Amino acid sequence: MIVPATDSSRSNGPGRLVLVAERDSATRSLESHFLAASGVSVQCVADGQAALELAKSARPEIVITEILIPRIDGLALCRRLKADAETSDTRVLVVSVLAAAVRAREAGADGFLLKPISEDRLVATVKNLLSQEGSRDEARDV
Amino acid sequence: MKPATSELATLARLETGNEKLDMILGGGFPASSINILMGEPGCGKTIVAESLVFANAGGDRPILYLTTLSEPLDKIVRYLQQFTFYDEAKLGSHVIYESVGDDLVEHGIAGLAPRLKDAITSIRPKIIVIDSFKAIHDLATSVPEMRRMLFEVAGLLTAYDTTAFFVGEYSSHDMARYPEFAVADGVIELARDKLGTRDERYLRVLKLRGSSYLEGLHAFKLSRDGIEVFPRLTTPRFPPQYTQKTERVSTGTGGLDALFGGGMPRGRSTVVLGPTGSGKTTLGLQFVLEGARRGEPGLYVHFEENPTQLAEHVASLEGRAGKADGIGFIYRSPVELQIDSFVSEMYETVRREGVKRVVVDAVGELIVAASDQQRLVWYLYALAQHFAARDVTSVFLYERSALDVPDEPRLSALADNILQLDVDLEGKARRTLRIVKARGIGHDLERHALAIANGRLTVA
Repeated sequence: MIVPATDSSRSNGPGRLVLVAERDSATRSLESHFLAASGVSVQCVADGQAALELAKSARPEIVITEILIPRIDGLALCRRLKADAETSDTRVLVVSVLAAAVRAREAGADGFLLKPISEDRLVATVKNLLSQEGSRDEARDV
Repeated sequence: MKPATSELATLARLETGNEKLDMILGGGFPASSINILMGEPGCGKTIVAESLVFANAGGDRPILYLTTLSEPLDKIVRYLQQFTFYDEAKLGSHVIYESVGDDLVEHGIAGLAPRLKDAITSIRPKIIVIDSFKAIHDLATSVPEMRRMLFEVAGLLTAYDTTAFFVGEYSSHDMARYPEFAVADGVIELARDKLGTRDERYLRVLKLRGSSYLEGLHAFKLSRDGIEVFPRLTTPRFPPQYTQKTERVSTGTGGLDALFGGGMPRGRSTVVLGPTGSGKTTLGLQFVLEGARRGEPGLYVHFEENPTQLAEHVASLEGRAGKADGIGFIYRSPVELQIDSFVSEMYETVRREGVKRVVVDAVGELIVAASDQQRLVWYLYALAQHFAARDVTSVFLYERSALDVPDEPRLSALADNILQLDVDLEGKARRTLRIVKARGIGHDLERHALAIANGRLTVA
């Protein structure tokens, strides 16, 4: 299910796109607010199937996902994104209430954050992942 | 990525700024939790919350203190300034007081969640206090409305990295009925009991998810410094190893060591029973004075004789006036005796000063002062066990006209040894002593006359 980003997080400007897959509306709302405030564009979905479809169509640079999301869980989503040639370059950040950093890494995630949300950690991690992405793009361009 | 196990093993804590309260809470409140501070008006909830707030003020994220409809913001801030923990430099920058009263009046309880979200996204508070949350509950027009508001508020507070405190005038009866207790991770109850002309305050942890904590009632006092907490004394984690202690200590009372077969076993507790004038205080003082002579720090705790009277008593035993070296004295008027705080102070003194001999003169005053006598007996038992674990030999004096051990099973459990002193008032007054019980050692069973020679008590 694709859910609207909050007014504050709807950013169609020049910011690079980040997709948030999160079942909890309060968490979704706060994550999208903090990310939008940091200058990235944000789209939100509430389940793993919608995240997979949007990742293919909208081509976000980062997918941020909780593990506990409906239809396709966050770890399965991560594996499928990394296994698909179309989306294998997409960075995946797992932000979960489960202390599952090792499992996230095994699933191919590029980062893991334990909830609750810390704005500083979230924004810093996303910026770090975006800078890695940027470096890779530059390298590819070359 | 950090391994998951280390993240779980290091569950962050929010320290309260009060070492004893943190000890009760197992290190503090779990960080990023929702907690309720409950109790009737005047029990000290706001003071506990504010002292915690100022103890944690600092860093790059502020603390938000939201007042609601219970007390005007101005009143809370006015009284706040009376406390020593108040720091004007932190007010407005690190600690932000705001009122959510207008939002609640205008929008009802539905006005809380948007206000909280606005606060989270604008000032990023690391702690949020809502005082009084009960006032918000009372404003709800229906249970569904209350549950809807709680769902939103709890969702926000759970999603974001902040620790929340709902302060409210709840009674323990409310805990089973009000939905806010279901979303709370921690619940601390503060209570005040009337005992004679005095009030005794207690706090109790009713719920603390994912944490071990010290159960039961813990006494506390309010002062300009905030709260002073006296954690309930529990028995030592590891029981004392009686079999390893064979050393005897001299009682300081001539002839008594021989009745024990060479003195009292070190680290054991002795109850000395006897009526007024039977020699209990003299026996107790001789015990600590003997220790001081042998280089063993002593502590004499007394409620009956005031310090001047006791100093004269000590001077007569020592044959000179002046301070008794190596002995500490703690005096409390029975009128002001508060068991929990007193026992805590006594234990802390023993630990801090390395005391090896303790006399409590007399247990009867503690019993009179105790609001719950069973609780007192547990306290004394725990205290005796702690003393034993530290090789502290203890003597508890207890004014009783006669001993009937079957009537005092609790006392028997407390004491390793029981001495009975008596005064025979028929004919010529005569003091006597008898060892009723001496745990694990052979001892004399006869009644012996006590004599006073050169001001000192001796077994004749």
